[in-house]
Amino acid sequence: MLVSSSKITRAREMVTKTEEKQLNQLEIQVDNGGGGTWEYLCLVRNLKLRRSEKVLKHGSSILNDPRKRSALGPYEWTLNEQVAIAAMDCQCLGVAQSCIKALQKKFPGSKRVGRLEALLLEAKGLWGEAEEAYASLLEDNPLDQAIHKRRVAISKALGKPSIAIELLNKYLELFMADHDAWRELAELYLSLQMYKQAAFCYEELILSQPTVPLYHLAYAEVLYTIGGVENIISARKYYAATVDLTGGKNTRALLGICLCASAIAQLSKGRNKEDKDATAAPELHSLAAAAVEKEYKQKAPDKLQLISSALRILKT
Amino acid sequence: MNLGFLVGFFGVLILSHAAYSTIQYRGLLKIMEEEFSRPPINVILELIIGLALCMWAALTFPGKFLSIHPDSDENRAVSLPDNSDFMIFNHRGRLFPPEIEMKF
Repeated sequence: MLVSSSKITRAREMVTKTEEKQLNQLEIQVDNGGGGTWEYLCLVRNLKLRRSEKVLKHGSSILNDPRKRSALGPYEWTLNEQVAIAAMDCQCLGVAQSCIKALQKKFPGSKRVGRLEALLLEAKGLWGEAEEAYASLLEDNPLDQAIHKRRVAISKALGKPSIAIELLNKYLELFMADHDAWRELAELYLSLQMYKQAAFCYEELILSQPTVPLYHLAYAEVLYTIGGVENIISARKYYAATVDLTGGKNTRALLGICLCASAIAQLSKGRNKEDKDATAAPELHSLAAAAVEKEYKQKAPDKLQLISSALRILKT
Repeated sequence: MNLGFLVGFFGVLILSHAAYSTIQYRGLLKIMEEEFSRPPINVILELIIGLALCMWAALTFPGKFLSIHPDSDENRAVSLPDNSDFMIFNHRGRLFPPEIEMKF
């Protein structure tokens, strides 16, 4: 097992197409019994993906084999942590307990292991004890970001999104640069249908990271949902920005442009001709429709007729 | 890879030979007390050949070049990382735990 060749890829803000391809390849290879388990686990950890079942299955197979476990060297403990969290996600609490016990033996009195124990309490459903554990951990280090985020997650799990939003807002006053937190806040607002506030969160994300196209896409979708001609015109701009940043391969953004164009045409029916011409963008619309049809011809040719007729209806 | 390496090696050899000839030529001119304007034609030809060989080797030896465009087909963003800092565990999947046994 090649542990020394673990190409530790840098953790990125988004998952690129090559990384996705590599991940799928490794997943198929590992599932069919070929090697590359450790590379797969490293890749999942670096891309911060949530593949708990696979991580649990393959990680525990490495940990159960004492030869493979010792071949890992110092990375054994990172693997223990990864498998513990995956086990909690799959509700295999015995596995999680044994991993945490091993970590406790190796690193007694560690804050990181303390966080894992509190996480285990959360997974068991003992919310009160988990809150107390986090409160005591916060006493020692009141500026620990992960613990603040876990408290938000507890409120979310208890089905109290308004409390979660309050806690998250307080957290963001301190740590304004935390993109994951802004994303989470946007999703919480969306779940409560507070679209204007969600739009604000996505604006913050776009300001701090303008090269990630998926934030532009999410912002465009929120604007389209809010409705009104001005918002839909802005939504069309952001869909176009997404198309630009992904090299035209994001089908959702292309369809978004077509939908925006048809919505603008419908909403501006009462206006006079000059206004309508200023807001319409016929070349953009037809180019986007052509690109969508090309994508469908390549990837799903049996659905091509369906999408062509839908696009034709949108154009009228 | 080997061909690129060999070609590069020869290119560097030719360049160093051209440098040596130029130094010798300058020494000769110093003896004849003439001015040094440019190296002789054959050295210039050698220099051009050495340049061509080294450039070809530099482009072929390192292997495949990676794309740097952020919107190229390999580098485009496909998805965001799953927000695991806020992950919650009381989802429907907790009713179907897989059968894993731990031996340690």
